[in-house]
Amino acid sequence: MEMAATAPDSPLERAAARASNHRVTDLRARGEPFTWLLGGCLSLGVVMIIGFLLLVLWNGFLTFVPQKIAVVTSKDGKVIAGEAFRAERFRPAPDVLAALTPDERSAVAKGDGMIGRTLYRVANFDLYGEDFKWVIDPDVKSVEYPADMVIVERLEWGPFIGRVEAITLDGKAVEGNDLKAPAVVKAHEEARERWARMREIERDEIGALNHDLEVARLDVRRAELKYGADSPQQRAALTELDRVTKDMQSQFARLTAEVQALRSTSDKYSVTFADIGDREKVVPLANIVRAYRPNALTFGEQVGVYFSRWGEFLTAEPREANTEGGVMPAIFGTLAMTLLMVIVVAPFGVITALYLREYAKQGRLVSFVRISVNNLAGVPSIVYGVFGLGFFAYVVGGTIDSLFFPERLPNPTFGTGGLMWAAFTLALLTVPVVIVATEEALAAVPRSMREGSLACGASKWQTIRNIVLPRAMPGVMTGIILAMARGAGEVAPLMLVGVVKLAPGLPIDGIFPYVHLERSFMHLGFHIFDVGFQSRNSEAGKPMVFVTTVLLITLVAVMNAAAIVIRSRLKRRFAGSQF
Amino acid sequence: MAEVTQGNGPVSPRLLPTKRRAKTTPRSVIIADKIADWTIRIGGIGVIVAVFGIMFFLMQTVVPLFTGGHAGELHTISRPAAHQALMDVIDEYQTMAVSVEDDGTITAFHIATGTQLTVPTFDFQGRKITGFGRTLNGRDVAFGFDDGSLRLGTISVPAVLVDAAPADATKLANNDLTDGKSVYSQTGAGQVRKVLVEAELSEAQQIAPQGTAIIAVDYRKGGTAERPESSFVTVDAAGIGRLSRAESKSNMMTGEVTTSLTSTELPGLPQGVSVARVLMNTAADTVLVADTAGTIYRYNTRSFDAPTLEETVKLLPDGVSLTTLNYLIGEQSIVVGGSDGSVSIYYKLARQDAKTEDGTMLVHAKTLEPHKGAVVAVDSSQRGKMFVTADATGEIWVRHATSEQVVLRLKPADFAGKYQTVALAPRENGILAISDAGKVYSWPISAPHPETTLKTIFGKVWYEGYPGPSYTWQSSSGTDAFEPKFSLMPLVFGTIKATFYSLLFAVPIALGAAIFTSEFVHPRVRAVVKPVMEMMASLPSVVLGFIAALILAPLVENWIGSVVLAAFLIPTSWLISALLWQMLPAPLALRYSGWPKLALMVAVLFIGFNLAEALAPAFEAFFFAGDFKAWVNGSAGSSRPFTALLLLPLMMGALYFAMARTLPASWRTIVRSPNRVVAGTAEFVRWIATLVVGWVLCWLLADILIAIGLDPRGGFLDTYVQRNTLIVGFAMGFAVIPIIYTIAEDALNSVPEHLRGASLGCGATQWQTATMVILPTAMSGVFAGIMVGMGRAVGETMIVVMAAGNTPVMDWNLFNGLRALSANIAVELPEAVKDGTLYRMLFLAALSLFAVTFIVNTLAEVVRQRFRKRTAQL
Repeated sequence: MEMAATAPDSPLERAAARASNHRVTDLRARGEPFTWLLGGCLSLGVVMIIGFLLLVLWNGFLTFVPQKIAVVTSKDGKVIAGEAFRAERFRPAPDVLAALTPDERSAVAKGDGMIGRTLYRVANFDLYGEDFKWVIDPDVKSVEYPADMVIVERLEWGPFIGRVEAITLDGKAVEGNDLKAPAVVKAHEEARERWARMREIERDEIGALNHDLEVARLDVRRAELKYGADSPQQRAALTELDRVTKDMQSQFARLTAEVQALRSTSDKYSVTFADIGDREKVVPLANIVRAYRPNALTFGEQVGVYFSRWGEFLTAEPREANTEGGVMPAIFGTLAMTLLMVIVVAPFGVITALYLREYAKQGRLVSFVRISVNNLAGVPSIVYGVFGLGFFAYVVGGTIDSLFFPERLPNPTFGTGGLMWAAFTLALLTVPVVIVATEEALAAVPRSMREGSLACGASKWQTIRNIVLPRAMPGVMTGIILAMARGAGEVAPLMLVGVVKLAPGLPIDGIFPYVHLERSFMHLGFHIFDVGFQSRNSEAGKPMVFVTTVLLITLVAVMNAAAIVIRSRLKRRFAGSQF
Repeated sequence: MAEVTQGNGPVSPRLLPTKRRAKTTPRSVIIADKIADWTIRIGGIGVIVAVFGIMFFLMQTVVPLFTGGHAGELHTISRPAAHQALMDVIDEYQTMAVSVEDDGTITAFHIATGTQLTVPTFDFQGRKITGFGRTLNGRDVAFGFDDGSLRLGTISVPAVLVDAAPADATKLANNDLTDGKSVYSQTGAGQVRKVLVEAELSEAQQIAPQGTAIIAVDYRKGGTAERPESSFVTVDAAGIGRLSRAESKSNMMTGEVTTSLTSTELPGLPQGVSVARVLMNTAADTVLVADTAGTIYRYNTRSFDAPTLEETVKLLPDGVSLTTLNYLIGEQSIVVGGSDGSVSIYYKLARQDAKTEDGTMLVHAKTLEPHKGAVVAVDSSQRGKMFVTADATGEIWVRHATSEQVVLRLKPADFAGKYQTVALAPRENGILAISDAGKVYSWPISAPHPETTLKTIFGKVWYEGYPGPSYTWQSSSGTDAFEPKFSLMPLVFGTIKATFYSLLFAVPIALGAAIFTSEFVHPRVRAVVKPVMEMMASLPSVVLGFIAALILAPLVENWIGSVVLAAFLIPTSWLISALLWQMLPAPLALRYSGWPKLALMVAVLFIGFNLAEALAPAFEAFFFAGDFKAWVNGSAGSSRPFTALLLLPLMMGALYFAMARTLPASWRTIVRSPNRVVAGTAEFVRWIATLVVGWVLCWLLADILIAIGLDPRGGFLDTYVQRNTLIVGFAMGFAVIPIIYTIAEDALNSVPEHLRGASLGCGATQWQTATMVILPTAMSGVFAGIMVGMGRAVGETMIVVMAAGNTPVMDWNLFNGLRALSANIAVELPEAVKDGTLYRMLFLAALSLFAVTFIVNTLAEVVRQRFRKRTAQL
């Protein structure tokens, strides 16, 4: 400033004068527009994830809410009944426009040329051949919600929407057509029990018989392969097969008779429904999962239906090509596979991390191995699937088959995808996660503690077991749980190593050896893919997919949350003992 | 320290407590230690080896694709040299070598021992064979005689399972027995397989005038089982070609079979033509007559009564004569062998420039590696595009038409004379050749993957029926005649396309969000926002794929106009809000710079969305002639407005850059005004002015660009498909954004605090600090984040399987689908036969994915470690 007074024309002075102007920052230097773009990116990211979760949760949790049945009368006199599934606006094709009256056309033109339409789930697939019908808004003459409309969830053909025409119990018609009448409810429960019994016989008991027969048959084959045809062993096995066959025939006859008896009783109980066009349909009482009048439900009943549907979803088996019923086998499969994976991945991951951190000589080679192991976490999961199929199923499984199950060839036992190979594949996929997490945890254990332990005379293993591992436990657990979360959400590799759309049996059942590691299994993630993309009508499957998605996301989220909780808890436990 | 050394050294016994502790370590501790030591070492090294074993296993599975084939031990059998062999046949199990001689006798040998067997023969009653033809599978044969008659027959060498060999059978070799007529082989499964020769001959039919020899025949069987129809084409010594059809009808009443024969003459064969070979196809709608000079006369015989000569093609140069002409399986391509050793393949293709009536022409598709001597015999495989050629110097080459490679080169050491016939075993696993020096040669061969070479996998290949060489992936079809097309290029392209577009979407958002989180928000906000963004990473990709394909794809298709508008409008809304925010007085702006500002950003995002929805019709009307889908496939409207719009952001940037240096000082004074309203308004006006000028410039530039052919339509914008790359890019964004975001944010955040403090302390604004100090320092870490994100995008499977439509096309169209390597593996591997070519090809795809992601991630890791080292030094 003083300089400015002494030499007003020098360049230095001009610079100083400019500098004084700089006291207020140039607006452009603040970069406000750019900041907003950056912030916009963040807000978009946050909105994307929250919007996504809301979309899934909203659809997932609303799926089981009983919907009202609308009876829609069109202007041309057609009547349909169904649940309003979704509504949207669309740009009509010229022929749709041409069918409208001039007034409606001008109304459409005013509304940007878009027309509203509603998708109704009309159900009754056996009568109509389709589950859904679109109705465009200008066509609607009236929408009513009659109290006597009934929705019936059946075992076959999907739901039915209509009215109750007649109820037959024990061959006699019942007055009142009231599905809530105590006699009807009681008869329904009995019918469902009969159905469950029939299913138990047909699947479990006859299945067990067939299994015994198969075992006897395989014994013959094994004896033949081992000792040759016509050897004493083979003849003994043949006699045994004869005995089993005879034994089975009598049992089979007994079971068939029981099923026959149950069936003939069941046939006397049925409900006759009529759709909105008065076409009748007789549904055996045993085939009705649930029937109610959605338009006349009290709030309490609505809640009841909602939770009973959730209950069915979580505990029942799928039906209707997986688009209805429950996902119990898929939940079971996912959990079994994930647990088996953990059993494999945890010890190996921890051992490897121990080796890398505590035993191997720290040098270039180990740091190279470390980087590579880290990078393996980034290798696409499908590559592990390919390896799992090629190595575990075909090479290892094929060898096991030829050594231990030659009698079943050419049908593979372990030589194809199955629960065990899926778990091994995912273990390989997730082992880097465990190794990296464990290594970090081991590295965080202070060196002084190790030295203290060794100085007290403890051996290396004693040090690791009593000092290092307990302190590293939170990190190890976190790694294992993160591995579980990753494993539970993977689908691509499973498609190659043993996941199926409908598994004939659970991997654990009452037949020796109880745990069937070679069996293919169902998986929640694959269930989503299958129902969403491979069912006859992806629209009908969509609600189911949403619920399954909620379940899968919850499972993964719970595991991730558990990782965080366990980590903080264990940290707290060891916090006091740290020095 | 001193105490410790004392403790370790010898201690006088008096200082110790009276009860002495054992000095030795308990055995159990030592054993446990040893066990743990070994377990951990072995387990650790084992897991590391296993993990690296993946790559070696994949490689080991892939290698056989490129190893060609190998031949087993040569069996040589001597036979009477008197006869000329017309054809030779080898059975499926390579037990018997059978040949048909030119006098009708059939000779058969047991290959392993050379024992001759007594088999039925054809009886021609003294007539001399002058022409011979057979169907592709070699079962049905036709003989033309010197008196102008023709006889049809069948010869086959079937293998049947029998209970046991006859008691009087004598031993031939290890497992083989014979009764003199057939060979009985003990199979591994305890069964007996009988290989025998069956031959049948029908009545003679007079085709040419009596006494005119038939010099060339070809024969096909067609019709139905109830009404078999035999078609054959003959050329007689007078140069007359005839197409004949024999229909057999069985009388319902008597069971008698009557055969009716009709013939038509082929027009247009020149007088005195010396015919070398005739060929016809199974549908009997094409007949090829080739003369010895290498000219082919192609007839369209779709109408049996009026065959037409479609074209005459010279296949070989002058002075070279045609020696062999054969169909490959599927009868779409012919193999031409010349006396100069040349082997070429011709396709019959529908061409625009064809001058023929049926619009097709024979096209010279491939020239294969020539033999050193004249090609003397050819045989094509019955299950693929493999074929075998034999030359005059004694070389037998096993070739493949798709890959154009010579899989095997065979030559007997004692070769003499000339090959009469050569045959490829039905399972492509053996070669049988007969020479006129009285030798029968037979090799077992193995060439499991002849159709793949590096060139067929990564280069362009001209497939049958295709107009020219192309990159095509089509792995399977119902019939043997199908030519599998294993070019990885469309899949690699699909992966690159999906990765590129998803990164185009994800990288700006992830980096923008990372910079903002690290530099512009309060740590408390960061503590909330970061886990929310990271939550995205734990969404299973199958869920993303489902939402993208079934919810998002139809929605976007319906609202495509709004979506495109939103891509422009939302950033613009943020810019406008920023310009308005600048007008706020400084204290106010400071007070609300935390949560309220972020909330406002979110609100503006929603306003932008709603605006986009409301303005979409007007937007579509102006830019897309009212209908986006019609516009985008080029059937409506002009490209100019939208091209201008695409250019606008770039133009705005360029204009601002230019203005930064050239704005007058008076303007700077205004912008620096302490009154934020004045300064803010000035900036706002400038922005509007730049926008207007920019738009005018873009409008002009768009016209120029379109004129020189840079039209976005037909390039990266084309016909709209519901499941497209836009959807994939968006869904993949969910998978990739959190990864890039986390790594980049960590990198930015770990820039030492003193750098930030120094910059701010020197008077730099937050924006200046972020862009000029923090970002350059953290650049390598940010880059590593992008690389890891890319690795994820390359290998992502479920999203691509579900949302990409899975069509293996190669175009950059944003609105078209794609098929990625990973999706292809997931879709095709469950169906692939173990150790088949498709199986190994998919392993190759997996290996490529493995290699690419491993390299990318390693690079990222190296870069990241360097970054860590650098920040540690700062």
